[in-house]
Amino acid sequence: MLVLVRLLPAGYAVFSGFFHTSLLTGQESWVGLQNYADLLASERFWNSVRVTLLFSLIINPFQVFIAFALAVLFTQRMHVSALWRSLVLLPVAAPGAVSTIVWGVIYRPDGLANSFLGVLGIPPQPYLISTSQALMSIIILMSWAGVGYWMMFLIAGINDIPQELHEAAALDGASAWRRFWRITLPLVRRPLAFVLVADTITNFLVFAPVQVLTQGGPQGSTNLMMFEIYERAYKLGDLNTANAEVVILIAITLVIVAVQFRMLGNAE
Amino acid sequence: MTAGLPQSRGIAGFVRRSVLTVLGALVGLLFLAPLLWAVSSALRPGAEVFRYVNPLQWRTFFPEHPTLENFVRLADTPLGPAIVNSLIVSAVTVAVGLMICAMAAFALSAIEFRGQGVVFTIVILSLLIPFDAIAIPLANLFRDANLQNTFAGLILPGLGNGLAIFLLRQFFLAVPHELVDAGRVDGLGWWGIFYRIYLPLSKPALIGAGLTLFLFQWHAFVWPLLIGSDADHTLGPVALANFTGRFSVDYGLLFAGAVVLIVIPLAIILSLQRYFIQSVSTSGLK
Repeated sequence: MLVLVRLLPAGYAVFSGFFHTSLLTGQESWVGLQNYADLLASERFWNSVRVTLLFSLIINPFQVFIAFALAVLFTQRMHVSALWRSLVLLPVAAPGAVSTIVWGVIYRPDGLANSFLGVLGIPPQPYLISTSQALMSIIILMSWAGVGYWMMFLIAGINDIPQELHEAAALDGASAWRRFWRITLPLVRRPLAFVLVADTITNFLVFAPVQVLTQGGPQGSTNLMMFEIYERAYKLGDLNTANAEVVILIAITLVIVAVQFRMLGNAE
Repeated sequence: MTAGLPQSRGIAGFVRRSVLTVLGALVGLLFLAPLLWAVSSALRPGAEVFRYVNPLQWRTFFPEHPTLENFVRLADTPLGPAIVNSLIVSAVTVAVGLMICAMAAFALSAIEFRGQGVVFTIVILSLLIPFDAIAIPLANLFRDANLQNTFAGLILPGLGNGLAIFLLRQFFLAVPHELVDAGRVDGLGWWGIFYRIYLPLSKPALIGAGLTLFLFQWHAFVWPLLIGSDADHTLGPVALANFTGRFSVDYGLLFAGAVVLIVIPLAIILSLQRYFIQSVSTSGLK
């Protein structure tokens, strides 16, 4: 079953990436690496790679940082901590496409986002229709939807730290700040590494916000690779080249994951 | 928890706790705000959705005269049947998928056979390739097999779930061998051992795996977009996305649909929560 739905299509994508389907006759012919060469020569493709890398470089550190800060906050002693924590977790239950649609309305000129800024005395912003803000707007909505999930892994990691370590350090006069740097941070490195890798893969595959809200625009500023592949396959009708692009996407994902594992492995 | 530390006692501790509580509450409410707004907007007439948004006030989040009218009207729009489709697809996936995953996990943990290592490696490998990444080539294969716009096409990819198999296998590995031997003595075959011994013992793991299968389908967007394009096979999230693409959007209806699609998984997670707590508390008894 798994072979059928995961590995077979991956293999098919590799295979199909070497072919070209003639628009006139509908026949497939072997073109070797031509599809890949076409992609590498395409400005559209490179723009999409640039946008995807920029997106990854911002969203992953941002989400891991927020998730960790929330995990530290909600493992402190406070009143009804479980209630506040579950509010942060609430968006995780929502299907991604549905959160996207709700946020699409929030980002409208007369939506909730501008009225929040109004309270802070900040003038209304264009959000999704601005080349400089659209990608950031997607990052914020994805983080609202996702950080609660990653927070749970980090809370589990923090709770696994033996209480005696903190008590002993406190008796020795170590401040809360020092205990955080010397005890909490080193001991949650494993869950942190897991969250970083898993989050990176998830964010490589972001699709719904682009498809529903921006269609890759304005001016290609949110044209993430998943959407670029979808457009190439269905709008441009070039399935073979789209499959070549799938291969590149999976390859980039695997390389980045391998590099992250390496770096984290060296750090230990 | 930093319980029992010196500075968390006394007046200083109380102040510290109160400050942290305010901070925690603020963060929690910030995360709640979009959902609360969606719920309150779903409860007011469509024309009034943006009436109290700016400037921000209590009426932004709490409708003065709540009405269920939007939810009733859902049934007459494409959203109603789409939500029913989502329910059907998810329910069948959980029922059939749980059986397939449990049998695969059973084979991988209780039975020794040649090639076991290879099969398990494939399960792990399939976890590494995210489903959405190969959705487009897979959709081409499904189209060639005439599975487009069929419930089978929507359900099939959700049935074999690497994570669910992995979860169940870990749980099955902990089932004592003596029980299997005792079952053998009583004349049970592999099926009997699976059905009479393993399944009843693994309720919490089955619930966890079932939830994994359910959420995979309920949260799916790329796949139903590619495969379920005609009106009879559109799933909830896709129908909602189509809804926003219209010329004039009825925001009351839009939010009502969104709320239904969010509340259903939430209710399922909350109602199953006690099983997870139970599993933690009973696993200590062994």
